Amino acid sequence: MKLKHSLFTRRQFLNGLLGGWLGALAASLLAPVLKFVFPPAREPDEVILSFSDFKDMELNTVKNFPWGSKPGLLKKNDDGSYTAFVAVCTHLDCNVTYLSDQRKFFCACHDGWYDENGINIGGPPPRPLRQLNLSIEGEDLIIKREGVE
Amino acid sequence: MRKKKKYVALFVLVIAFHSFFLLKPVFAQQVGQKEKTEMTQEVESQEKIIPGPQNITESTGIYVFIVWMWLAIFVLIYILILKIKEVDRLHEIRFISKKIK
Amino acid sequence: MNKRLRFWLDERSGYSVIFHFLKEKKIPQHRHSIWYYTGSAILLFFAIQVITGFLLVFYYNPTLEGANASVARIMTEVPLGWIIRSVHSWSASFMIAFVFVHLLSIWITKAYRKPRELTWMSGVFLLFVSLAFGFTGYLLPWDDLSLSATKVGTDIPRSIPIVGIWVTKLLRGGEDVTGDTLTRFFGFHVSILPLFLLAILAVHVYLIQKQGMSIPLEAERKDEKMKELPFWPNFVFREMVVWLVLTGILFSVAVFFPPSLDKAADLMAPAPEGIRPEWYFLFLFQMLKIFPAKILFVNGDTLAVLLILLGIVAFFFLPLIDNKPAERKGKIITVIAYLFIVFALAMTVWSLL
Repeated sequence: MKLKHSLFTRRQFLNGLLGGWLGALAASLLAPVLKFVFPPAREPDEVILSFSDFKDMELNTVKNFPWGSKPGLLKKNDDGSYTAFVAVCTHLDCNVTYLSDQRKFFCACHDGWYDENGINIGGPPPRPLRQLNLSIEGEDLIIKREGVE
Repeated sequence: MRKKKKYVALFVLVIAFHSFFLLKPVFAQQVGQKEKTEMTQEVESQEKIIPGPQNITESTGIYVFIVWMWLAIFVLIYILILKIKEVDRLHEIRFISKKIK
Repeated sequence: MNKRLRFWLDERSGYSVIFHFLKEKKIPQHRHSIWYYTGSAILLFFAIQVITGFLLVFYYNPTLEGANASVARIMTEVPLGWIIRSVHSWSASFMIAFVFVHLLSIWITKAYRKPRELTWMSGVFLLFVSLAFGFTGYLLPWDDLSLSATKVGTDIPRSIPIVGIWVTKLLRGGEDVTGDTLTRFFGFHVSILPLFLLAILAVHVYLIQKQGMSIPLEAERKDEKMKELPFWPNFVFREMVVWLVLTGILFSVAVFFPPSLDKAADLMAPAPEGIRPEWYFLFLFQMLKIFPAKILFVNGDTLAVLLILLGIVAFFFLPLIDNKPAERKGKIITVIAYLFIVFALAMTVWSLL
């Protein structure tokens, strides 16, 4: 029976307590399950490659390198410098390719175009291609994630 | 008073049950263990993978979780016992009133 | 709001008839009522198996090359994967342990007597499906121990004359244990056996609901009046207490005693030392070991397997054999149950020495 001034009956209180604690226990058991099902997709902080593989690239060409589970493209620019891109289209994640004669990156899925610096210039891509920081230390070509020291 | 003794006994039992686990290095059956590593594991060049938490954060997290789980279980059992008494009482009342009819 | 939703659903599906039934269903209270809890305990562990199984299958690779590595990955890379695997492994053992307890309690209280013979028989099928789950699951990590156990286990049917070799070939996917065996066992474990189990379980549970709970023989004969609890909510709340305790124990054990993983099996390597099947097969394993290679002119193994098969058939038809439960034959059958417990325990312990 519920008194006028009380928020709920004793039965409701007890049922609420039971449901609440069951929910809390269930949630605490669910949390590790969710962690299991959605593992953290960590991109590598850095990738170290052997520079000799890329030293003899021709100007205005690209070469593949693995960036975690994504493809990376290393481009040798006209002035001999290198730029590292994550070769994933910013539209819907298809892998892009570089067309040297047109000096553009192209995504075949929905006709997306980027210029030679990765800036999105045509089609649906909303953002430029991701660029990674690279440095050459002796024999090694070190490619780092943006913002990593 | 007897009820209280029951709860205390149960509590002691659970603590005893878990103290068994604290003796894990002695009692745990790790058959044919090549390396006596306690809570760490190496993956590449080893015969056997002994699982466990990777670091101290995970270990502590797991202990906290187990304590919390048992706490929640005890609270739930207490609430369920109250509920059981309630529904039993209701059933008795209805039963008796039916009989009177 | 809640009431309106429930009314809307009930208008269309009529589901409330289930709840009315559950409220009417009565659970008798007597000296042996405690065994009533074993059935739902089995269901609890099975539910945990299904959930953890779903999770493991997200990462497991059922091929010869990938199996062991995928389990290693679950145990090291996937967050808390080792706990999920550990719970799955321990819950399997708990489930089969409770299946044994459930079966023995039915045997000893003779709950299988008329009209519950079919419930018993479907239960025997469920027992074998559960053991098959354990056997097929054991191979999936594809390490030395599980490979050897599977080789031995799938070799045993071979001793049966005429049909034996075909059973072995069916299980192995050929003459020998190969990658095909692994894939086949995986198919059994995640698809074929679950469907069989659910189908037989539906029959088992339906029969129980239709016939109600059985009461001990003496109580039935004396037509005792006993206290009865409504299934919902009284008995269910009590079951929940049992489930909570069992879940707590399971998780504690799983976290502190996780199973390890040996390196990937090598099909060409000699058998490793100390191979043995899971604990629930140990008593059978020992029985096969103690039979001499030849008895008179018969192959020892064949005799052992045939005896075991005979035992299984007798076990299946037990309600029909025990058709006079109150008389001397009935009492002997009860004694046999206790003897069997002692025998199985003794054989298990012996096999571990």
